[in-house]
Amino acid sequence: MLNRLFSEIRFRLRALFHRGKLEQELDTELSFHLQKETEKHMANGASPDEANRRARAAFGAVQGTKDDARDARGISLLDSVVQDVRYALRGLRKRPAFTLGVVLTLGLGIGANAAMFGIVDRLLFRPPLGLKDPETAHRVFQHRLVEDRRPRIDRNFNFRRYLDLQRNTRSFESFAAFQTRTLALGEGTDTHEAKVTVASASYLQFFEVRPALGRFYGPAEDSVPAGAPVVVLGYDYWKSRYGGRSDVIGRQLRIDRSTFTVIGVAPKGFVGAGDQGVPAAFIPITAYAHAVRGPRYPTVYTWTWMEMLARRKPGITQAAAEQDLTNALLGSWRETIAEQPNWGKLEDLGIRGELGPMHLARGPLAGQDSKVATWVLGVAAIVLLIACANVANLFLSRAFARRREFAMRLALGVTRGRLARQLLTESLVLALIGGAAGLVIAQWGAAALRAAFLDDAASAVIVDPRTLLFTALAVLVTALLTGIVPAVQTGRGNVNLTLKGGANEGPHRSRARPLLLVFQATLSVVLLIGAGLFVRSLSHVRNYRLGYDVAPILYASANPRGYRPTEAEQQTIAESMLETAKRIPGVQYATLTISVPFWSNEGTGIWVPGVDSVNQKWNFLFNTGSPDYFKTMGTRILRGRAFDERDRAGTGLVLVVGERMAQVLWPGQDALGKCVKIGAENEPCAQVIGIAEEMHLRSLTSERDYSYYIPVVQHTAPPDPQVFVRVSGDPERAIEPLRRELQRLMPGPAYVNVVPLSQLVDPSLRSWKFGSTMFVAFGGLALLLAAIGLYSMIAYDVTQRTRELGLRIALGSSVSRVLRLIVSSGLRLVGAGVVLGVLLALWGAKWMEGLMFQQEPRDPLIYGVVAGILLLVAVVAAVVPALRATRIDPNSALRLD
Amino acid sequence: MIGLFLSKRKGNAVTDHLDLPQGTLDLLILKAVSLGPLHGWAISERLHDVTRATLQIPQGSLYPALHRLERRGWIRAEWGSSDNNRKAKFYELTSSGKKQLASEAKAWARLTNAVGLVLDMS
Repeated sequence: MLNRLFSEIRFRLRALFHRGKLEQELDTELSFHLQKETEKHMANGASPDEANRRARAAFGAVQGTKDDARDARGISLLDSVVQDVRYALRGLRKRPAFTLGVVLTLGLGIGANAAMFGIVDRLLFRPPLGLKDPETAHRVFQHRLVEDRRPRIDRNFNFRRYLDLQRNTRSFESFAAFQTRTLALGEGTDTHEAKVTVASASYLQFFEVRPALGRFYGPAEDSVPAGAPVVVLGYDYWKSRYGGRSDVIGRQLRIDRSTFTVIGVAPKGFVGAGDQGVPAAFIPITAYAHAVRGPRYPTVYTWTWMEMLARRKPGITQAAAEQDLTNALLGSWRETIAEQPNWGKLEDLGIRGELGPMHLARGPLAGQDSKVATWVLGVAAIVLLIACANVANLFLSRAFARRREFAMRLALGVTRGRLARQLLTESLVLALIGGAAGLVIAQWGAAALRAAFLDDAASAVIVDPRTLLFTALAVLVTALLTGIVPAVQTGRGNVNLTLKGGANEGPHRSRARPLLLVFQATLSVVLLIGAGLFVRSLSHVRNYRLGYDVAPILYASANPRGYRPTEAEQQTIAESMLETAKRIPGVQYATLTISVPFWSNEGTGIWVPGVDSVNQKWNFLFNTGSPDYFKTMGTRILRGRAFDERDRAGTGLVLVVGERMAQVLWPGQDALGKCVKIGAENEPCAQVIGIAEEMHLRSLTSERDYSYYIPVVQHTAPPDPQVFVRVSGDPERAIEPLRRELQRLMPGPAYVNVVPLSQLVDPSLRSWKFGSTMFVAFGGLALLLAAIGLYSMIAYDVTQRTRELGLRIALGSSVSRVLRLIVSSGLRLVGAGVVLGVLLALWGAKWMEGLMFQQEPRDPLIYGVVAGILLLVAVVAAVVPALRATRIDPNSALRLD
Repeated sequence: MIGLFLSKRKGNAVTDHLDLPQGTLDLLILKAVSLGPLHGWAISERLHDVTRATLQIPQGSLYPALHRLERRGWIRAEWGSSDNNRKAKFYELTSSGKKQLASEAKAWARLTNAVGLVLDMS
C-alpha cells in the first residue's frame, strides 16, 4: 500500500517537473509503435502508403491517445489547465478590441455589484468592527402607545431608566448607554464642531478592541453622577489634528463646555456601534451629562436623550431576556407615573421591550435607506446579468466563427469535453480580468456611495475580505454564465458537415442568441421602468412645496458652550444677531426663530373655545418669528395678514395658523379672528390674524403635524440666539462673512455656526435622490449593453445572410424590402422583450410602492416611454447593419465562399 | 482520411471481433508482460496472436492503460533498444504487479466459473 502511494507520488512529481521530457518520451513511444506496425504491413506486401494507412487505422486517433495517456499519468488536469490558460491569454491578446469590450462590460457589472455589496453588507450584515460575540449583543427598543393608541417605538431613553434596567433585570450581563452628538472641540480660533460619542464605560467593553495608544476609560471614571473628564480620541481625528503624535496623552482638550484630558486613542477604523459616522472622540457619559445637566440628571425621568445596548447572559434565550426587559421597563414606568401622574395609566401605555439587532437598518426603526440600498443591489445584479448575456452572446458569435477550427480539432481527436473546458477557461480568464477591473471601478464609485449612505467616507475601505470574497463569487458565476452556452454549443453539430460547409453558412443557427437578446431586452425594460419611476418620484420630491424656500436660506445659531447668559443678556444677543445679520451685504431678510425644519421643533398645548380635547387629537408645532419671518422663509400668507411691527409685547396677542390647522379646528368656518389660548387654558386669547400655507417641518409625509406662528416679542421666553437669513445670490458665499460678523457678538466661549438650510433638509430627501441616481445610472448602463448586444447580433446575422440577401436583391427585391426584413426581425425580438419586461415590472410594482413619493408605480406614461425608447434603439441597432447589407453587390455576394 | 479516423474513434466494431469487457485489458497486459519485458507494440502483437485475433483491442487504448499500470506501480518501464538499435520502452512486472496479477487472475477464474455454472443450468 505504502509502496503504491510512493510510486504514485514519484510518478506525479516527475510528471509535473519533467513535462517536456515526458511529452517527448510519449511521442517516441507512439511513433515507435506506428513504425513497427507499418513495417509489419509492408512485410505482408502492402505498399508503404497503404501500410502507413493501415497502421494508423489500427491505432486510432493519435491525439486522443496522447490525451488519454496524459490523463492516465494523472497530471493532465493541472497540465491542461495551464495549457488552456496560456491558450486563452494568447487568443485574447490577439483580439484586443474583443477583450477590452468584454473586460469593460464585465468590469462594470462586477464593479457595480462589489460596490453595492460593500454598502449593503455594512448596512445590514457585518457586525460593527470589534464587537464581541455579536449573537448576544442587542440594541434596546421600547414599544409604547401614544395618542389615539398609536404604536410608537423609541430607541432613546433617559439615564434613570438605564439605572432602573440595570438594577431590575437578571438576564443581562451588561447595559451600555451612548449617544453621538455634534459638539464644539478646541478653543478660540481653533474651535470646530465634530462628532463625539458620549458613552458609558460598559459601552467600550462591548467591543474586543485595544486602544492604538494609551488606554480606554473604565467604570471608575464613569461613576454616577460626575465621571472623570477624560477623553479617548478617534484614530482619524488623532491623525488629522495631532499628526498621530504619541505625546498627545495627557494633553487637555476642550469639548463642549468642559476640559478633558486625553488618556488614549481608539484603534483604526473603530466607530463604536457605528451608524452615526466616525466619532472624533469618546467621553464618559456621566462626565458629559453632569456638565450639561448638573448632578440631578440620574434622578429624573425627563431627559430622554441616549440610546442603549444590552448583552444577554450566556444560556438565556432572547425571548426570556425580552420578557425580563419588559418587566423591568414596566417597573420603571410605574415609578415614572408615580412622579408624573400626567402620563396616565400604565396599562394604557402598552410598554414592551424589544431586543433588536445591532444594525439599526435591520431593526424596528429601519429607515428607507436600507430598503433602497437592497433594491439597488438587486439592480446591480440585474446589470451583471445583462452584461453576462452580452458577453455570452459575443462568445457565441466567436464560437460560431471558430466552428471550423473546433471541428478540425475534434477531427484530430481532441475530445468535446476538452474543447468545452477550454472555452470555460477562456471565459473564466476574462471574468477574472473583468473582476479586477470591477474592483478598481468599485473603489472609485465607493467614496460617492458611502458618502451617500454611510456618513463615513473618511474610513472608506471598500476592498475588505468580505467584498473580495463576494467579488470572487461574482467572477465565478459570471464565468459560468458566459461560458456555459458556448461550451454546450460546441458539443452539438456534425463535424463533417461543418468542415464541408462554407465559412458563411452554418448548418444550424444558434437558438441561444435570440433568447439571450430577449432576456436582455426584458431586464433592460424592467430597470428603465424602475429608473423612470425613481426619477419622477424624485422630481415630485424636489417640486414638492414644503411651504417655505430652502435654497436661498442660511441658518445661523449661537452655541453658548456652557456660557450661561441671563435672560436679558440672551435677549440682547439674539436681537443684535438679527440686526447684524440684516446689515450683511446680500442678505435680503432675516428673522429670529425657535423651530428649524427637520432639525428641532417646539410644540406646546393649545386650548380653543368650543373645540374639545384639541391636544389629544392633533399635534401642534409652533414657531416664533420676527416681523420679516414669512418674507424670509418665502411662506405665502393665504388670507389675512402676517404679524409685523404693529404686534409688540404690549399689544393684543396674535397668531398666524397653517392652512390645515384652520381646517381641522374650524371646519367650514372662517378662522380669522378666532381665539386660541397658547400654553395653558387660563391664558388670554390670541387672535388669528392670518392663514399661511402649510409648512412641512418634520417630514414630507406626516399628516399629523399642524403648525402655527407667533411674533417672537409676544412669546413668554426670551428669543433663542438663532436666525434665518434670506440671501440673494450664492448662499455659500455669504456664510463666512455672516459667521465672522456674528461671532464678534459672542460672549466668552460661545461660538456661531452657519449652515445652509438645505444641509438640514437634504438628508430627508437622500434615499429618493440616491435611488433615482442609481437607477438612472444602472438603467442607462443596461440600455447601453442591450443596444450593443442587439447591434452586434443583427450585424452578425446580416453578415451570415450576405449570400441570401444578395440573392434577394439579384432577384429584384427592393432595398426597402430587405431593410424591412432585417429591421423587423430585430424588432420582433426586442418587442418580445418589451412585453415580458412590462409584465415583469407590473408584477413587481407592488414592492416599489413604499419607495415612491406621490408616484404611482404603474404609471402608464413611464411604461410607454421606456417601451418606445427600447424599440427605437432596436430600430437604430438594426438599421445600421441592414443598410450596409443593402449595399452588397449581388454578384460578389453570390460568389462568396 | 479524417472521416476514417472518426469512425474508428466512434468504435464501429468490425464483425466477428469481440469487444473487450471493461477492466480486463489491465489483466491481459499484466499477463503479457509477466513472461518478460516487452515494448508496447510487442504486447499488442502478443495479445493479437494469442487470442487468435478474436479480441478487438484498439492499439491506441493500450498506452493509456500501460501508463496507468505504471503509475500504480504494477509495471515498471525502462528504455532499451529493440532490433535495429531503435529506442523502445520496455515494460516488466514488478513484485506488487505479480501479486495483483495473481489476485486478478483468481478473481477472473471465479467469475468465469460462476458464469459458466449459470449458463450450464438445465
